[in-house]
Amino acid sequence: MPMKVDIISEWTGEIGEVTIGATKKEGGSRCAAIVIGGGSGFPFLGGSAPGRKPLIAFEFCDDPKLWSPIVTELEGDVVNDAGDWAARVEELHRPDLLRFYLTSTRRRGFQDFSQLRRTVEEVLERSTLPLIVEGSIDPAIDSETFLCCGEAGEGERLLLGTAEEGRYRSVAAAAMAYGHSVIAQSPIDVNLAKQLNILLRETGVPHDRIVIDPYTGALGYGFEYSYSAMERIRFAALKGDEDLAMPMISSAIDSLNIKEVREADPGQRGEMAVKWELYTAVSSVIAGASVVCVRHPETIVPLRSAIDSLWGKTGGGD
Amino acid sequence: MALKALDIYKLLPKKNCKECGEPTCLTFAMKLAAGKADIEKCPYLDEEARRILGASTKPPIQLVKIGVGERSFAVGDEFVQFRHEKTFNHQPGILVAVSDLWPDDRIQDVVREVRDGVLVRIGTDLRLDGIAIRCESGSAEEFSRAVAAVEAKADLPEVLMAADPVVMEAGLSVCGAFRPLIYAATHENYQGMCALARKFGCPLTIRAESLESMAELSALAAKEGAPALLIDPSAATLSDYVKKATAIRQNAVSKTVPDLGYPIFFDTTVTGMQDAALALGVDKYASVLVCDRLSIPSRNALLTLRQNIYTDPQKPIQMNPGIYRVGEPVRDSPVFLSVNFSLTYFTLQGYLEASGVPCYMLVVDTEGYSVLTAVAGGKLNETLVAESIKKTGLESEVDHRTLIIPGYAAPLSGKIEDESGWKVLVGPRDAAGVAEFLEKEWKK
Ligand code: B12
Ligand code: SF4
Repeated sequence: MPMKVDIISEWTGEIGEVTIGATKKEGGSRCAAIVIGGGSGFPFLGGSAPGRKPLIAFEFCDDPKLWSPIVTELEGDVVNDAGDWAARVEELHRPDLLRFYLTSTRRRGFQDFSQLRRTVEEVLERSTLPLIVEGSIDPAIDSETFLCCGEAGEGERLLLGTAEEGRYRSVAAAAMAYGHSVIAQSPIDVNLAKQLNILLRETGVPHDRIVIDPYTGALGYGFEYSYSAMERIRFAALKGDEDLAMPMISSAIDSLNIKEVREADPGQRGEMAVKWELYTAVSSVIAGASVVCVRHPETIVPLRSAIDSLWGKTGGGD
Repeated sequence: MALKALDIYKLLPKKNCKECGEPTCLTFAMKLAAGKADIEKCPYLDEEARRILGASTKPPIQLVKIGVGERSFAVGDEFVQFRHEKTFNHQPGILVAVSDLWPDDRIQDVVREVRDGVLVRIGTDLRLDGIAIRCESGSAEEFSRAVAAVEAKADLPEVLMAADPVVMEAGLSVCGAFRPLIYAATHENYQGMCALARKFGCPLTIRAESLESMAELSALAAKEGAPALLIDPSAATLSDYVKKATAIRQNAVSKTVPDLGYPIFFDTTVTGMQDAALALGVDKYASVLVCDRLSIPSRNALLTLRQNIYTDPQKPIQMNPGIYRVGEPVRDSPVFLSVNFSLTYFTLQGYLEASGVPCYMLVVDTEGYSVLTAVAGGKLNETLVAESIKKTGLESEVDHRTLIIPGYAAPLSGKIEDESGWKVLVGPRDAAGVAEFLEKEWKK
């Protein structure tokens, strides 16, 4: 019998952990406090400390006009009320996490911050899953938007997004003031990801409150870069680079807008959207993402089976 | 162990005669070291050097050709574990399974779908590769009938899947000359299967449960004279597949276990979750993927993922900069500015064609970056645009001086006007809007 064949692992570093959500006992109202990240091996290769099973976040928003009609038509009227939508997602689609986009802030001249606060509160009231909140994408209103989100979610240990190189101070300040964590997004590059994490650390955000978003291009539209960027970020961490040792979140936001999906045969458009998300998400978890995000409700079930099978019985973790 | 370029150089004739196609023996040595050249190209190597170099420059994973003719494909010949280290060379072939329990017309529906189905992306035709014929009847007659039914419709690469060498031979007697892949030799039947592989000159898949017994079996098969091998780690779950495939690839490229240096075969139908298994197979080292009939959405996502993963992440696919014509433009036809990233070019070109308005595309050299990326990275700027207008002779092609620029390049509009002297019209951000834009803005 020849020698035993094994995976050769030279990694020594560890991926950090981030907690999202706080239960009643901890001063929040979530059904669980979820820990993401951890571990010190290749994704999915078992070993002594393989890290945790990746989770699925479902993305929804408060202004459905800025959302793909493929999803809003399927979901129906609930999309007009963020609270109703949140409740439906929890009950019917059953993701692990909710990712809520305040798309209303993207309207020109947006100023209605009190409404924003109420919206976030309502989503929290009508849901129990740990929550990710995406604030504005406009530096002019960042400060007030993130303050509103931060305050409305005080005690809930939200994950707040999104910090970028040119605009991270408002998110960071809101997270620090109200006990939340931050998504740090950089455009598909290991060094840029590292740089932003250092900037965040310097403003006082500790490593265990940062989740890396390496920017996931849609399949066929940048995913070829994102896939390798994720692998490289993961391996840099496993080799010991602590400024990259945070869990990653992957969301191929553009997936439902790309030509292949948007212009698919009407009878196949929904399935095209699901397959596009599924192939991207499966590839993202194998590249090292701890949270993968989807927008089409029907992607969740096949994605969950895939992650469960990938995780296997010997995968370890929780 | 792999030799370094200088060690290889020492073994070369040092004539610098260029007959290998390289300017010097040293550059030939460097290509050999990188696995990018074939020692046979140098006619002056002595026996000893040929022996040493042959063994050490052989790719760590054997190159295997499956099928003949236009749709044939090659797999293996890989050197790295992660694509950012260099690139992956040979994309996996995807073969759709049919059963010999099916009537001819049901088999042939699948064959036709694989033969004719095409997804055009970035100017490339993406297709599934072939047919896997499964013996489920146990009968040599039924199996050869099914193979004949496939052969009658298309010259596609095939995998013949049968456990009994007698049945396999019946299939091979129909299509053995077209280099189908034989599936599979196990510890039980390998002598019979190897004899067939030898006789028909076909590649052979071996299958074993553990990687240790796989390495053992591959050595046995090589000794039996099987000309080319693939290995099936017989994974039943996604987790099992990823672990085994990773171990195989790693031990092969590091040449730790040379007996695992063969392309990987993955039958995704046994996992019960075909889409996820196909995605993983593409991401993680599969060279031949077998699946059941795919819906159009599954097929398109799969072919696009495969195209992405097998694109070199260091070099975007690029167009030559210059003037491109859509339809038959005349002296007052509109001119669209765009970048030389192929994906951008083909996306825009598709929409321009659909608009039915003949026009020019001025494609400038942004080193293969997309519009938004090039604007953000400073690769698309007014100097480049002005120079390109001059260099391409655009001013003698058209009588007007109006340039339509991408919506994402709007911040550059004033600067482009100043630098080029052309009037700038800012087009839509999304190329899907060009027809409407032409309708509303160009005509007036
Ligand atoms: C993949 C990608 C990369 C790849 C490169 C891919 C490539 N070959 O271009 C890599 C990883 C290398 C990269 C690098 C960078 N990137 Co980048 N990248 C992307 C990503 C995800 C996809 C790009 C893509 O393929 N688009 C698809 C093509 C087809 O789009 P397009 O060329 O724009 O064409 C469309 C339209 O413009 C229109 N169109 C095209 N031509 C014309 C012409 C006319 C007349 C009209 C009317 C329309 C039209 O048609 C097309 C379809 O609608 C985008 C995000 C995104 N969704 O765009 C970020 C993105 C463009 N990148 C970004 C950045 C910041 C960068 C970097 C500057 C980061 C850095 N600091 O290093 C570098 C710059 C590169 C450099 N060093 O010079 C930012 C830009 C931010 C901004 N809004 O300015 C983006 C938006 C990501 C983000 N949100 O952070 N990137
Ligand atoms: S053919 Fe051989 S001798 Fe001639 S240049 Fe190439 S390596 Fe040197």
